[in-house]
Amino acid sequence: MPESGNYMIAGYIVVAVVVVGYVVNLWRRGK
Amino acid sequence: MPDAASAERQIRRGRAVTLIALLGLAVLYVMALQFTPPERTMGLVQKLYYVHPPAAYAMQLAFLTTGLCSLLYLLLRDERFDLFAEASAEVGMVMGMIVVITGPIWGRPAWGVWWAWEPRLTFTVLELLVFGGYFALRGAVRDPQERAKFAAVLGMMALVLVPFNHLTVYYFASQHPEPVALRAGKPALPFEMLRTFLTGFGVFTVLYIGLAMQRYGIGVRAAHQEVADA
Repeated sequence: MPESGNYMIAGYIVVAVVVVGYVVNLWRRGK
Repeated sequence: MPDAASAERQIRRGRAVTLIALLGLAVLYVMALQFTPPERTMGLVQKLYYVHPPAAYAMQLAFLTTGLCSLLYLLLRDERFDLFAEASAEVGMVMGMIVVITGPIWGRPAWGVWWAWEPRLTFTVLELLVFGGYFALRGAVRDPQERAKFAAVLGMMALVLVPFNHLTVYYFASQHPEPVALRAGKPALPFEMLRTFLTGFGVFTVLYIGLAMQRYGIGVRAAHQEVADA
């Protein structure tokens, strides 16, 4: 089911980008 | 208000907890993608189950904390509650962003549409808009005590939305599925899936704590700055 796998990868990338983005944002604001 | 040294300490501790949570998130990714079987009908996209509900739970936890801290601020007038309410609401918005982006990514292959204006989804958007308004309100009031008071009233009123959103799938004809693990009797999913699912909840809890601690420390520091500037 390759198409279903693409959606899964997109979802996991979104989670990583949002979490890491916010962590970096807090890191910079906390410096 | 806590002293400036305590703000730095909170930021440092928050960073340490966040680091642990990030390692946990990496473990969750490996568990979910490599060691958990795919679901039969939906296929691989069902694996969003290990991040979408935990993020939704973290959002609800964050907004619930904001509401309770708002209530405590109004009762006790302790600035720490106001600052933590703000910190928690910001983390809640970030978790909410994860929820409303991963939801449609799952909805497209599972429901055939990116979005449906059904009760659960609509309420989630409403909740995010109200907390968006919470930040607009905070930004609009200059006096710290007035700001804390107004924000606490809004935060406390928005608290009503949190349990209501949770109950939408039971009380309305909702397209969104009801909880699979949190139900009467035993969870309706195999052990391997349940294990990964519960790990997700643990990871997002630690992540919420780490991020909120850091944001609280930053808020305390900003409050000191505000006093110094006045």
